Amino acid sequence: MATLSVENLTYVYGEKSPFQKTAIEDVTFSAKSGEIIGVIGHTGSGKSTLVQHFNGLLKANSGKVLLDGADIWENPKEIRKIRFKIGMVFQYPEYQLFEETVYKDIAFGPTNMGLSAEDINKRVLDTAQMLGITAEMLEKSPFDLSGGEKRRVAIAGVMAMQPEIIVFDEPTAGLDPAGRDIVLEKIKEYRDRTGALVFIVSHSMEDMARVADKLLVMNSGHLSMFDTVKKVFSNPQKLKKIGLNVPQVTKVFSALKEKGIPVDENVFTVNDAVSYLLSFLKGGKNND
Amino acid sequence: MDNIIEVSDVTFEYTDNDNVSTVLKNLSLSVERGSFTVILGHNGSGKSTLAKLMSGLLKPDSGTVTVDGITTADEQNEIEVHRRVGMVFQNPDNQIVATIVEEDVAFGPENLGLPPNVIRERVDSALKTVDMYDYRLHAPHKLSGGQKQRVAIAGIIAMEPECIVFDEPTSMLDPKGRREVMDTIYRLNKEKNITIVLITHYMEEVEKADRVVVMDSGEILLDGKPSDVFSQVEKIKEIGLDVPQTTELLYLLKQNGYELPDGVIATGDCVSELLALLRRENCGNTEC
Repeated sequence: MATLSVENLTYVYGEKSPFQKTAIEDVTFSAKSGEIIGVIGHTGSGKSTLVQHFNGLLKANSGKVLLDGADIWENPKEIRKIRFKIGMVFQYPEYQLFEETVYKDIAFGPTNMGLSAEDINKRVLDTAQMLGITAEMLEKSPFDLSGGEKRRVAIAGVMAMQPEIIVFDEPTAGLDPAGRDIVLEKIKEYRDRTGALVFIVSHSMEDMARVADKLLVMNSGHLSMFDTVKKVFSNPQKLKKIGLNVPQVTKVFSALKEKGIPVDENVFTVNDAVSYLLSFLKGGKNND
Repeated sequence: MDNIIEVSDVTFEYTDNDNVSTVLKNLSLSVERGSFTVILGHNGSGKSTLAKLMSGLLKPDSGTVTVDGITTADEQNEIEVHRRVGMVFQNPDNQIVATIVEEDVAFGPENLGLPPNVIRERVDSALKTVDMYDYRLHAPHKLSGGQKQRVAIAGIIAMEPECIVFDEPTSMLDPKGRREVMDTIYRLNKEKNITIVLITHYMEEVEKADRVVVMDSGEILLDGKPSDVFSQVEKIKEIGLDVPQTTELLYLLKQNGYELPDGVIATGDCVSELLALLRRENCGNTEC
């Protein structure tokens, strides 16, 4: 079990230079194991800057990041250990593949952790299996794979370290719908299996409606909302004002409600919408 | 019919060492002047290759591509082809060459060898069209993704092409940037009568198109009006693509025995259909 707490975090880019810019200001929140948290906000809202503090890739100008109550910077020499506990999958992570074979690429992280050869092998094979990377693919060069496969290999490289907390920065960007569905499913599966705390930075409200438990909304460097998906999406005006949106099916339900139909507006996925409307329609028939 | 682009019986192969992979197989497609065509397909279906063939960046291995009657395969025609068809790519950062917005937009017309006063006029008018005139003296790297992409579009418009091919122009943008760019594209089509070919993974961007072409393994699988193409939900899902949430919602309700039309895309249309359904089922007033 892990808890990540962020307290009054402020980060300024290019401090004391003409380009000084406060990227995030006074951000405070806390999240625990087993949750999938969607981090949303317009470009430049501070999402990526915020998540890069979680494992000490950036060091705040003020404020703290606490892992299970302990400041991650308490002992700066130990920050590497934190990075094994808190994994980070960057945007377009397939650009970071570099080894001769897929196997070696996935093994890179676990090897750096100083695990035994046997453990490394087990982790590579287990992770590959979970992500649908076949034995044949493991022997190939990562550069011979398709875009979606490369993405999964890059994700496997981080998951093989079995971090307690894992951060994905736009994991589905540039993937087609099928590739996107696989990646989201696998992230969910990792959470279910390991009970990890997962952060997903995303621009897709539809994706977030499907996988996230909570949403952390950033706006101009400030934490604008941190709440359940339901609470955040029930505020479409506020989201629109900060350049975001609600899923299309939620818009349909809001419009129905405006027309005087007493539907529940808190519908964020197509499946929920269908089951809701079916029971609503049946309710109508029973009353006839 | 007056077609600006004619792709006839085109085959295209990539050769990597001794491996030959056929990307397009005997493909034929005409694009009508002034129309708005969306091309969908999963990663690797050949849609980007098709886009590059249409804009003369690639030449077919067999078959012909003509733009305004001019054959792209003939090197002598290169300038005339590029004058007529412009292309906008996914990553705005890769398309900007100058350090000041208006200089970047002037790059194309300068290469056409136009007199300075004409270049000035075209640059100003192009920047106004994409709503970036106020930023003409800004540095491009300080702009948001959506703004950069609009500058890239202005650079193409300044060449006064008859047709613009967009290859996933919004996939790296946030929801606001995506809206800005899509609004600009619609405007170019409706007000400037520029022929648009748009490649995308976002199904909601199909809404206002005249025509949708779905590619699969280098061939055209479906081709028609958006409502006709999206009537074939199963076929689209089978090849790993998605339909808009509105289309899927009505499709699933229909599967449950309710009478609803296929291929509804716009949010407003979906709401009207649902209202009509609820009225028919006598469900939606307060006694329901």
